[in-house]
Amino acid sequence: MPPRLNLASAFRALSLRSTTPAAGPGISQPLLSQKLAAPVARRFYSDNLTPNSNNESSSSSQIASSPGQLPPSSSSSSSKEVGEQQQQQQQRHNEDNLDALSRLEMVAYGLNPFNARKEGHKYGLPSLPLPSELHKDHRYDDVMGQITRLLMKDGKLSKAQRDMAMILNYLRTSPAPKTNPARPLIPGSPAPHFLPLDPVTYLRVAIDSVAPLVKIRGFRGLAGGGRNLEVPAPLAARQRRRTAFMWILDAVQKRKSKGSGRKMFPTRVAEEIVAVVEGRSTVWDKRAQVHKLGTATRANLMNSQIKNFL
Amino acid sequence: MSATNCLRCLGRPSVAGASRGVVVPVFAPRTAPFSTTAIQNALPAKGKSGEHQDRSVRVYRAGRKMTFKKKHTGDRGKPPAPGERKAFRKKIVLSNDNALPVPWVTEMEASSLSNENKVGTIVSLPPAVQDQLRATEAFQPTQTWGLFRKPSTLIRKETVELVGKMEKATANKQTARVVLTGEKISGKSTMLIQAQSYAYLNNWIVIHFPDAQELTNGSTEYAPVPNTENPTLYMQQNYCLKLLQSIKKANEKILAKLLTVSNHSELPQNIPVNQTLLSLINAAKEAEGAWSVFQALWSELNAHGANRPPILLSMDNLPHIMKISEYRSASFDKIHSHDLSLVKLFTEALSGNTRFPSGGAVIAATNRNNGPRIPSMELALKQRLAEQRASQEETVPVRDPYFKGYDDRVEKVLKSVEVMEVNRIGKREARSLMEYWAASGLLRTTVDEQTVSEKWTLGGGGVLGEMERAALLTMKI
Repeated sequence: MPPRLNLASAFRALSLRSTTPAAGPGISQPLLSQKLAAPVARRFYSDNLTPNSNNESSSSSQIASSPGQLPPSSSSSSSKEVGEQQQQQQQRHNEDNLDALSRLEMVAYGLNPFNARKEGHKYGLPSLPLPSELHKDHRYDDVMGQITRLLMKDGKLSKAQRDMAMILNYLRTSPAPKTNPARPLIPGSPAPHFLPLDPVTYLRVAIDSVAPLVKIRGFRGLAGGGRNLEVPAPLAARQRRRTAFMWILDAVQKRKSKGSGRKMFPTRVAEEIVAVVEGRSTVWDKRAQVHKLGTATRANLMNSQIKNFL
Repeated sequence: MSATNCLRCLGRPSVAGASRGVVVPVFAPRTAPFSTTAIQNALPAKGKSGEHQDRSVRVYRAGRKMTFKKKHTGDRGKPPAPGERKAFRKKIVLSNDNALPVPWVTEMEASSLSNENKVGTIVSLPPAVQDQLRATEAFQPTQTWGLFRKPSTLIRKETVELVGKMEKATANKQTARVVLTGEKISGKSTMLIQAQSYAYLNNWIVIHFPDAQELTNGSTEYAPVPNTENPTLYMQQNYCLKLLQSIKKANEKILAKLLTVSNHSELPQNIPVNQTLLSLINAAKEAEGAWSVFQALWSELNAHGANRPPILLSMDNLPHIMKISEYRSASFDKIHSHDLSLVKLFTEALSGNTRFPSGGAVIAATNRNNGPRIPSMELALKQRLAEQRASQEETVPVRDPYFKGYDDRVEKVLKSVEVMEVNRIGKREARSLMEYWAASGLLRTTVDEQTVSEKWTLGGGGVLGEMERAALLTMKI
């Protein structure tokens, strides 16, 4: 089925002049492909009334200033100039009309005649691909997004986000942590005195440093006598962070609440995070315990029955 | 706070209980102190008996009764001391050592708040003023002072306007009476801080009521003022003592220079003529007698011909004193807030009945978050605003004839006040503020037109507190 031709828009796009054209343009019609490639910089819903050059405007003002008079008794050169100008003007009109016609043609071929990149946007379009933080679902740092949901209670995400913001503000107002060499932070973490300036990294360093590498899976009855056979299993990054933050939240539960109000819970969480980075937290012991058990049980991976499951 | 016996029992000593022959200790636990039922009829509450100690929870799930054993939570140690939890909630931190110092922020001077050329600049509060503002509890825990190196404020268009009013009033020995209104977190309390800072820097006397609801929500002790009839006035001695101490701390330097002009023999400690006002305040050592000391101080400050400094009387959360208070009279009638003597002192000044000898200002800020809706106050403020605009098209609003909740006393107080709206800030002011945030290291983006526009829009079109929330209290740092 051929695409429908919209005649109304075609008439609107045509620019009409009451003056008769002085001479034919003598330009052959350009190819459609050429027209498509030509940049479309102006809109042609109406006549272009703004004069393009000083030359032209001065001449038109001269004409306008003496409406009653006849054109000045001209020498041959001046009349030639005026004729040239009129010709140029006419040519421009014809180009405009050709543009409009080419758009009509595009409509006829079922194409969109307007270039979205150039027209119709006050501030222009953003460059693609969009950075991930411009997507509504990925606007926060990946760790932040994950642990905010772990903080959430009763599905109140907005409250969890506020709590998280308070945690970050606590971190950036607290003094730089004094790290414990016996509890090394994750390799590649910035120097401790940089951490308060970047609370998101602070939180990320704390969580990644205590995140366990493995979990212990129990296979029921495989150890003989109905006992569990414990086998270490590796964790993905997201799972590791989840485990670490749940341990931190357990430690927060055990902390005594010293105050009241909406800042209390975030303060306790933030204090625990500082304790983690300073190596004072009990979460480090939990991690060491899991790793120790993982080392001890890794021999169980060789169990012939286990191999079927893994 | 509550009496050990209910009011009815006071009238008729507990003969009924005695006649029953049941010996009940006077400290028997009661659940409803305001109950009019004779308490002796109730059996003493059971202590924790054996059945409650097994720590199990019984629930019905899917129609079946199930018993779960409750986890032993363990001993958490000593509970927080009385007042400790509230102290945490109200803690005010004014500096953050991690934040970077901003080089272009200058210290506030006596004239900087009234300078129109300084609109849109950030100035820091001088340390002495910080202490004075702390003494009057002008800083609030919800404000973001704790994020920056030094407590600083933005000089807004409204600031210059307000301070200009104060300046003009004192030049003519008049009193500027202003009520600040505006949206939630649009900066009304901060405007009060700025007005107070101006007053401190220009050697005014400042009396600030940090939260009006403390006066009327029934949380402080009250007693009728002797020899007042029709209406009986009530004094709040404990609050008065606290207020006196804050006045003393905040205005110590000036009060040490001012001398009494009359003899005060009625006070707990006789204060003769030519004593400093500081020693007059020091006469209030206990809550008892605090009100009379306050009255003496107030009369001294308003003594004519004694060359007193201008006075700033300010109050935050105004709507709380524009309603019936939570207090009751001896005949159990509700007491109107304006019958509380401290509130009356403020409303008299606000309505223009009290004239300060060297001029000054009475400034009150409304609050939208925790404030009760007072139809009369809202109407009066709207009327004043319409009168101030004085345009032909806009008519002054009138009372709704079908609504009964209006209060004449409130409207009388607000009959002739000036109303100032603390509005949204413009993009220029927003930009200067955001540059300050960025230079402090708290806003980690480049501050260009797009970012300013973004935060300005996210902040409800320039509501300052909302902009702070959008830029400083966020997960995206």
